[in-house]
Amino acid sequence: MTGASTPFLRVEGVRKSFFGVTVLHDVSFAVEAGKALGLVGENGSGKSTSMNILGGVIQPEAGSMFLGGEAYAPADPKQAAAAGVAFIHQELNLFHNLTVEENLFVDAFPRRGVLPLIDRRAIRASTEEVLAEVDLQVKPSTLVAKLSQGERQLVEIAKAVSRNARLIIFDEPTTSLTRPEVERLFAIIERLKQRGIAIIYISHALEDVISVCETITVLRDGHLAGTAPKDDLTLQQIIAMMVGRSIDTIYPQRLRSGGGDRIFSVSGLSQPGVAENVSFDIRQGEIVGLSGLMGSGRSELARMIFGLDPFRRGVITINGKPLNDPTPRSAMDAGIAFLTEDRRGEGLLMDFTVSENTVLASLRSVAGALGILDKRAISRVSLDMASAMRLSTDRVDDTQVKHLSGGNQQKVVIGKWLRRQPVLFILDEPTRGIDVGAKQEVYRIINGLVERGSAVLLISSEIEELMGLSDRILALSRGEMVGSFDSKPFDREAIMAAAAGVGKLEAAE
Amino acid sequence: MKIGSRALLLILQNAPYILFVVLLVVFGLMSDRFFAIANFRNIIIQAAPIAILAIGMTFVLLTAQIDLSVGGIMYLTATVLALYMTGAPWPVGLAAVIFMGGFIGALNGVVVTRLGVASFIVTLATLFILRGIAMYLSNTRTLMFGDEILTLNRATVLGIPSAIFAFLVVFAVAWVILHQTPFGRQVYAVGGDPEAARKAGLPVARIVFFCFVIAGICAGVGGFVSITQIGAVGPKYGDQIEFSAIAAAVLGGVSLFGGRGSVAGTVFGAILIKSVQNGLNIINADPYIYPLVTAAIIFLAVAIDGLRTRIIERLERRTIRPVSVE
Amino acid sequence: MTAVPPAHIAQSAIPRSGMGRLLKLVLSEYFILVLCLLYVAGIYPFVPEILTWGVWSNILGDMMPLLVVAIGQTFVLIVAGIDLSITAIISMAAVVGASVMTGTGGYLSGSAAAVPIAILVMLLVGVGIGFINGMSIVWLNMPSFIVTLATRMFFAGAAIWFVTFHSTSSSIADLPRSFSNFSTGSFSGIPYTVLVVGMIAVVAHVFLSRTRYGRWIYAVGANPKAARVSGIPVERTIMMAFLISGACASVAAMIYAARMQTGSPIAGENILLDVIGAVVIGGTSLFGGKGKIIWTVFGVLFLVILDTSMKLLGASLFAIYIIKGSVILLAAMMDTLRNRILAER
Repeated sequence: MTGASTPFLRVEGVRKSFFGVTVLHDVSFAVEAGKALGLVGENGSGKSTSMNILGGVIQPEAGSMFLGGEAYAPADPKQAAAAGVAFIHQELNLFHNLTVEENLFVDAFPRRGVLPLIDRRAIRASTEEVLAEVDLQVKPSTLVAKLSQGERQLVEIAKAVSRNARLIIFDEPTTSLTRPEVERLFAIIERLKQRGIAIIYISHALEDVISVCETITVLRDGHLAGTAPKDDLTLQQIIAMMVGRSIDTIYPQRLRSGGGDRIFSVSGLSQPGVAENVSFDIRQGEIVGLSGLMGSGRSELARMIFGLDPFRRGVITINGKPLNDPTPRSAMDAGIAFLTEDRRGEGLLMDFTVSENTVLASLRSVAGALGILDKRAISRVSLDMASAMRLSTDRVDDTQVKHLSGGNQQKVVIGKWLRRQPVLFILDEPTRGIDVGAKQEVYRIINGLVERGSAVLLISSEIEELMGLSDRILALSRGEMVGSFDSKPFDREAIMAAAAGVGKLEAAE
Repeated sequence: MKIGSRALLLILQNAPYILFVVLLVVFGLMSDRFFAIANFRNIIIQAAPIAILAIGMTFVLLTAQIDLSVGGIMYLTATVLALYMTGAPWPVGLAAVIFMGGFIGALNGVVVTRLGVASFIVTLATLFILRGIAMYLSNTRTLMFGDEILTLNRATVLGIPSAIFAFLVVFAVAWVILHQTPFGRQVYAVGGDPEAARKAGLPVARIVFFCFVIAGICAGVGGFVSITQIGAVGPKYGDQIEFSAIAAAVLGGVSLFGGRGSVAGTVFGAILIKSVQNGLNIINADPYIYPLVTAAIIFLAVAIDGLRTRIIERLERRTIRPVSVE
Repeated sequence: MTAVPPAHIAQSAIPRSGMGRLLKLVLSEYFILVLCLLYVAGIYPFVPEILTWGVWSNILGDMMPLLVVAIGQTFVLIVAGIDLSITAIISMAAVVGASVMTGTGGYLSGSAAAVPIAILVMLLVGVGIGFINGMSIVWLNMPSFIVTLATRMFFAGAAIWFVTFHSTSSSIADLPRSFSNFSTGSFSGIPYTVLVVGMIAVVAHVFLSRTRYGRWIYAVGANPKAARVSGIPVERTIMMAFLISGACASVAAMIYAARMQTGSPIAGENILLDVIGAVVIGGTSLFGGKGKIIWTVFGVLFLVILDTSMKLLGASLFAIYIIKGSVILLAAMMDTLRNRILAER
């Protein structure tokens, strides 16, 4: 592609579909040994599918892959690992109750002769060697539980190195790292390149991608949007390639927007290590977007407001009344609703039916004397919810939510909160993991909500979504408010820069 | 504030040991007989059977499973020994007990790992079944052992009483297995994060299976040591001992949720429980309060552990910005 | 994601063949009841007495203490806890209650208020120990298994100790006739115990399945995080389950004490594993979020029928043990299989 040398990994015309929906259309890319390829794209663009194919988790329907000149078609993750392909996922796969050296060898301990005893000396020596390689200065006998997140990641990299990985794939490696840890990671990646290891680097933090990679491949809606050396690309061009469509067609117009009374405010919210002096307010009928990288404290801020996490200082006011020491119950009573980013873990009871989930946050309204529930009322309000949300099923009383698609599950979560007619609805990643059609419906529901006078705090890692929906966008970086953007059209670059904690702080005021 | 928490953590982490020392001092002050060497030897002899049982239990608990059937294994193996192997030399008896215990443990393990039934229920059921079989074989009588077994109680190895020797051997073997073999470390891995273990390609089912086998073997051996001391086996033999074994392990820092603890801690837990009973005995305490004190100590140790976990969680809460000095 | 079939299609996919009907039966929640009927039919040729009124009134009488404890345990298991202390609660409540009302040296010996106050005290003991359990789990962050194991050891020992202050024998006898009436008397043909436990069962059933507090219990057991985000007071809900379990156990203490006319510290000593076994046979999950009172009724019924028929057959204790264990094991395997089939559908 770029140089004269043949690429170490070549992916050619790979196609994959699930349930008849094609999610990857003839995608091709290549990495040279000792070079890094940046793979970028919005959620749902096909990045994770590509990586699952590379890792042998799923198999492509068409296309071919070559690794080191040989055909490469891993049938399972083990074969991929044996071929020298290693993954550094966002969630690390380490055992916290084992030591660093034990983690490196846990599935293949070297033995002392014929005895089933671990050759401690051997693993100590080789561990020290690879730890030096990744510049991690901890004793091999340290428990992983005692390491910081950044150090744990280096252990994972050391594991890849010790297995003689020839291609290492980093998936959002910087989200939970501090800046010095990020710098250290980049230095290690540089060193890995020098050893001739090929790198694929996936991240939403485009600045990072540009500084680490030689070549950048952009995916969009399962298609290859383009590949170019990084020197030929500007940040704007990358973003344009990622989005590639007009925002107006996806984000429905609202009849009236913003401009009501100030209904909710946060002032001076602080919690050591999480948030510092955060202040903002939201008006009735307004959507305020909260922009920030993962790990910027946006979800933590929402959790503090909703009473799920503690905070040291600060005043939350809703409807003119202070909300002191909020708990989820008191926050709900004050009129706050909260859609968490973890739909399966916190949003729904997956084994329970649609109607059971629908009324879970508003049981009192369907209960009579002694808390006896009115089953008919539950069915009725759940059916109402299902038709208002355009749910795929109307068998609300005997459909478990785990049988619904992601988009329909999300509609149930939203419907459950709308039953409380919230004054303020906090939406944390409301469209994560759902398809484009469902996304549009969620947008329509959000618009309907604010048209009826609710206020919305919208958290999203998709900048386009924030820009398409919000009346105002706040940028959060490392627990601090670093910018507020009022005017449409929004200055995308300025918002991204503020959220990334670089560049100008106040822009486009 | 952080330094204060760390210091508190250090105290909490060693709470069972601090508790132990305090109890020793209290008993020592109340009776000078408590600190006699002979008394310590007695404590360890008394603790040996339960410690051996609890060591086996530790393997199972480390994988986040539970074995309620150990008392049944103990009773059945001892009964078989008393009925059918009266004339056999004791090493044959011991080997038979090990074999039977391992076999029953394997049955537990198969049902848990192959059929995927919760170990609580599986071993609860086998507890009933094993006790039933043992009662059937013995006709619910109390069976006496011959001299071949009884003399073992007074026997010594290298000057060490046989019960202590057996206990030390089991402890040493278990320690080596858990800390120095690939299997042992994988036991910790499986208990610490079963999902990650599966992803790392560890044979999770096989590891859990062998932990049940080990628990079965330890139950057999612990029962064997116990009969050398009691000299008889009856329908109440090993009754409710599963709870004592679990208590000893938990007292020694083994987590019921898997992945945390060690056999050294378990042994300490068993000795702590027996020391308390011995100390209460020596100071002529009302025997009725023995279980009360034991229960209170277990409760205290676990309450402290809960507090410790909470502090660790607070200390390790993810921060996204440097904590400013207040 | 879009291609996940709507659930109603998946649900009507059971074939209408004989095999399909059998599968449907196995998967139905009345499976254990059907097993009971099949068992009785199968055992009838060997013990025809099984279908006599006398035997059934025995079965019913034996069921009551077990059932009331099992109802409490059902609540605890649904919130993903376990209560091992129930037998100790029974012992403690029995001896403390007896110490109040016994004719020989009781605190209120001979007084008209003795029995009502004793009943109140027994309830208080149960609820009090339940409170200690709940408090330790909720506030001290302790696993319920260990908490209730410790309180079990403690109060079982305490009950025996307590008796030594009130009696020279190992139990407190000479309870008033008006109290022991509870186990012998009846109201228009229905024994008091059946009446009381039946009412408790109905109330528990309504509470669990029809009230919002019931929904709290299921939600907390299924997913405490999601329950918390939905505004459910998780701590209070867990506490509630253990209080209920304690209260239920003290009712069992009343039944045992009335039946023996004695407050014995070993009353109900051996029923712990029967209780948990019965609840799990009924289909309530050990991992929380799933269970029903009616299932527990079936589970207890099954275990008691088994017990009674074995005794009628002249089986010895060991045979009962072996069979009971095998049945618990089989039922658990069946339940695992059922869940697997349900999950695959």
